[in-house]
Amino acid sequence: MTATAPELRVEGLEAGYYAGQSVLRGVDLRAAPGKLTVILGPNGAGKSTALRVLAGLLPPAAGRVLVDGHDITRVPAHGRARLGIAFLPQGRSVFAALTVHQNLELGGWILRRRRQDLDRALEAAYERYPKLRPLRDRPAGSLSGGQQRLVEIARMMIADPRLILIDEPSAGLAPNLTEEVYEELARLRVEGRTVLLVDQNVRAAVEVADYVFTLESGRNHLEGDRERFERELGALIRAWLRV
Amino acid sequence: MLSLLLQAAVDGILLGLIYTIMALGLSLILGVLGVINVAHSVFIMLGSFFALGLLTLLHLDPAVSFVLSVPVFFLAGAAVYRLLIQRVQRAPATIGILVLFGLMVVVETAGILLWTTDTRVITVGYSNLRLSAGPVTVNGARLVAGGLSLLATAAAYWFLKRTLTGRAVVAMADNRDAASVLGMDVDRLSMLIFGLGIAAAGAGGVAIGMTFPFAPQDHIQWLAWAFLIVIVGGLGRVESTLLGGLVIGLVQTLAGVLLPFSWVFLLMYLLLLVLLIVRGQGLAGARRREL
Repeated sequence: MTATAPELRVEGLEAGYYAGQSVLRGVDLRAAPGKLTVILGPNGAGKSTALRVLAGLLPPAAGRVLVDGHDITRVPAHGRARLGIAFLPQGRSVFAALTVHQNLELGGWILRRRRQDLDRALEAAYERYPKLRPLRDRPAGSLSGGQQRLVEIARMMIADPRLILIDEPSAGLAPNLTEEVYEELARLRVEGRTVLLVDQNVRAAVEVADYVFTLESGRNHLEGDRERFERELGALIRAWLRV
Repeated sequence: MLSLLLQAAVDGILLGLIYTIMALGLSLILGVLGVINVAHSVFIMLGSFFALGLLTLLHLDPAVSFVLSVPVFFLAGAAVYRLLIQRVQRAPATIGILVLFGLMVVVETAGILLWTTDTRVITVGYSNLRLSAGPVTVNGARLVAGGLSLLATAAAYWFLKRTLTGRAVVAMADNRDAASVLGMDVDRLSMLIFGLGIAAAGAGGVAIGMTFPFAPQDHIQWLAWAFLIVIVGGLGRVESTLLGGLVIGLVQTLAGVLLPFSWVFLLMYLLLLVLLIVRGQGLAGARRREL
């Protein structure tokens, strides 16, 4: 890591997909620099919507998004990549018709006018994720679910982002692959990047978290550091599942 | 009979190359942007008149006009994207079709006012030239138009396959959100691909104008042909359009050997109808083929 990790703040966020139907109804969040912050909550609480707003894919109806105090609410998604912000969306997002290498290359789109830096970043990605090297020339769409996830993570890391937004990283993965994904998340944290994670896998997420927010029905519910949530986990999960 | 079929095959391949560039823009714009550009064929018509105008005013060979049409129609396409398409992008698809249908009517009407409904032809030195090789005779204009179309198609293939920007277009077609969070300006890339699609239509219009008579109101036939090619070949990929173009070119010329001329048109429209039904979801079925 060359640059220091930024702080992300969200104030009074309101957003939705249809006019008059808010999914988020005034949410405040903070992701501390170099820490891993987790957003938890039952289905439909607005977790993924919050990340889409933070990634610039959904314009908010109200509220502000601040990175190190700078208002980026109106910065479009492609402009946020240049600010060192990365987003790993939920579900399959590899470019299926392109090879693994071409996928990674596009991860360095913002470096494209600095070919040497891009080549160096690509080589670093193969060093960091050696499993991808033999898959280099395979079409990404032909890979297994776990391999595709690895391509998505590696592709996101090419530009060396300092603030990483991740939505449901282990959804649909086999248990042993899920473990690898959380090891990778722990590594991002050790490297001092700011990570904001949305997850359904409550136990695994809290285990790697520094700080936890919970949302319910588009509003803030609870927040606190990991220790507090480790104690209350059972009760929380039962409440969300309504059992 | 054999030499007749051979002659038809050669004619069909040249025609197929011209059809490929004529339909390529429709395929790219639909495959990458999901926009059904029903105004596609008025740009073909404008391409033909562009070549005719440059020939009568500046005595420019249509082969030169073919090359010039690319930047001119690219800019026109980019402007249409900015002024019309971008505004209705988030609206339901039917709104986009209606907007483009409106554009088609406006351009066609303007064309009729400007150039009347008279049928025109582009005649240059090699228009009636007949080149013979063994049993096969090739028309000069068709050879030049087919060759230029092949070059333009190869350029489009090269752009999409071999350049980073081309691969970004492929990526955007696959997953627009994933592309934009990696820093790709998807609005600019969309404008680029719309511009290139219209550039291909304009160049296709020059090639069509070198080969067939044309009039402002006759473009609808090319729209039907282009849809036919897209459905036969599949969507978005240059090589698919080439396949579709060659198939339709060959079917048309081979049918022309066996059937009276007016029957060939009927056959082509029937083919379009049958394919739309057999493919079930019609154009949506074509879309499912990956880019």
